[in-house]
Amino acid sequence: MEFLTDLSMMYFLLIPIGVIIGIFFGAIPGMTATMAVAVCLPLTYSLNLNEGLALLLGLYVGGISGGLVPAILLNIPGTPSSITTTFDGYPMTQNNQGAIALKTAITASLFGGILSAVILFLFAPILADVAIKFSYIEKFLIIFLALTVIASLSTNLLAGIFSGVLGVLISLIGVYSIDVGGNGEFRFVPGILEYYLETGFSLLPVLIGLFGLGAILKEAEKGTKEEDTSQKVNLSNQQKFSMKIFKGQFTNLTRSGLIGTFVGMLPGVGGSAASVLSYTQAKNFSKEPKKFGTGAPQGVIASEAANNGLTGGALIPLLSLGIPGDSTTAVLIGAFTLQGIQVGPLFIGENLGTWNTMILGLLLANIVMFITMFYAIKYIAKVVTVPKYILYPIIIMMCVVGSYAINYGNMFDVWTLLIFGIFAYLGGKIGIEMAPFIIGFILGKSAEIYFVKALESFGTFEIFFTKSPIAMFLWVLIIISVGYSIYSALKGKKIKKAIENK
Amino acid sequence: MENSSSSLLAIKIDFAQSHIFFPTIIVWTLVILFALILIFYGIPYLRSYLSGERTLNLSLEHIDKIRLLGTLIVTVLYFILMDEVGTFFPNMGYGFLFVSIPFIFLISILYVHDINRKKLITITLNAIIAPSLAWFLLAKMFSITLP
Repeated sequence: MEFLTDLSMMYFLLIPIGVIIGIFFGAIPGMTATMAVAVCLPLTYSLNLNEGLALLLGLYVGGISGGLVPAILLNIPGTPSSITTTFDGYPMTQNNQGAIALKTAITASLFGGILSAVILFLFAPILADVAIKFSYIEKFLIIFLALTVIASLSTNLLAGIFSGVLGVLISLIGVYSIDVGGNGEFRFVPGILEYYLETGFSLLPVLIGLFGLGAILKEAEKGTKEEDTSQKVNLSNQQKFSMKIFKGQFTNLTRSGLIGTFVGMLPGVGGSAASVLSYTQAKNFSKEPKKFGTGAPQGVIASEAANNGLTGGALIPLLSLGIPGDSTTAVLIGAFTLQGIQVGPLFIGENLGTWNTMILGLLLANIVMFITMFYAIKYIAKVVTVPKYILYPIIIMMCVVGSYAINYGNMFDVWTLLIFGIFAYLGGKIGIEMAPFIIGFILGKSAEIYFVKALESFGTFEIFFTKSPIAMFLWVLIIISVGYSIYSALKGKKIKKAIENK
Repeated sequence: MENSSSSLLAIKIDFAQSHIFFPTIIVWTLVILFALILIFYGIPYLRSYLSGERTLNLSLEHIDKIRLLGTLIVTVLYFILMDEVGTFFPNMGYGFLFVSIPFIFLISILYVHDINRKKLITITLNAIIAPSLAWFLLAKMFSITLP
């Protein structure tokens, strides 16, 4: 408990601030937890590591949780991961049970969040201990595995892996740095840009562009329409919530929380996969599957426990292997780098204090989220009605601050933001998937070093297969993941054909 | 037998050219993936298009051109002007402050529907308060570099 003495008042204050801002972002459709973290990053520039973490974890938990509000009240998922919350949450609102649905969802979120934090606490150090023994070869294979997993779980197999590899390619832009044993030569950089692109594109402007500006451009294309929602978010005449609703739901809660945590661990898989999987499982195991979709609290529980389970899950590969589990944790990598911390197998052992602070922050963020949302839901529901014409320009402004200040005042980073904002907008049109792209981008440079250095020292490709039992085990996982992706792609085609024939 | 298989997999990387070794592999992987995408999606699409099952929909009608292009133009101007104005007041963050106010105002006007007096007042107040607050908090209190 020594680490507690390092914590300031500010730390405990920033968690609720983060949670509230996060809920706000999550609750507004079109704005996500990733955006919340990306846009608020400049606020952490002047904070110390612990305080910065407090704010970011608060934003993360709040952002993921906030999405349930519009999902239940308006039938619009506030974040992609609350898509399945709309299935039963909105019918409940229509049955005059909106308040019950909201509070059920909030309680399930708390459960999922805490469960995943506990698993993170127990599991990440073990994984890190294994990973410490990895040589370049195993490290490369881990990245390779991450990319195949992304591909196998993306909406479109080929587009997913294409996006991931494209991310790797973009990360290679710049000098093959002498610091990591390279030869100091430029790749893919036209002469006039050599000054700006020596170290390639900075991570944070890229992230802020993809998830901040990119989202605004998509909304602008749609005409930034406002919906008249003031009537729907009135909760005054609704039935009252009681904890009895959770009777007999312990298995559902635990299963959903575990599914969320597990899916969160898989790199590049968004929250929607977690909640869809857990919702279908809850339906499969339910005694009354027919009730699902008509306003069954079990459905809301499954969906929300899973998408908050994601938070701890996504942090496991980040903190033990240095691989982000989702796009929000990808932004967290940026924040760590900013504070001079390298995440990877050595992180926990070398930064025990920070590690404990993180776990505490995650637990507190979940509790604060619960208290805030449970008791202030009436007011939070109103957030959904803040007009877009007020919010969006402020978000663009914050994107600019975040990009400009990251390297102490560099205008090129602001242009990077614009380039990647436009890329996210246009790329989305042709099927480029942003989560695999960004994970490829983050891991690309390391992948190159591990790959080239391993070959330089061993002189044969064979070493990747024969180096160690761990390497062979990783190959087995890679084969399973590729096999699964091909199997599910074929199965998907069959189902599609069957539907067409009907 | 084992010798021949290891010589097949053997590789020597020339250090002077090592900076393009991995990028070359990645570029080729992309080319192959792109070809696969064309085979699995491009050709069936083209076939259904040629047989008349599908028509090519290139209409841009669903796009709100004014808001989308407006956002891009105003944002680019915002970035340029912010830098220009900022050079007159080094390290003060005034470039950010003075240019953000009209930027927020313009984007709000661009995005708002059915504007009325009340909305206009909200927009104007927001355009003045939000950048000032951000400037005060970030540049003054947290000493973060702004243009």
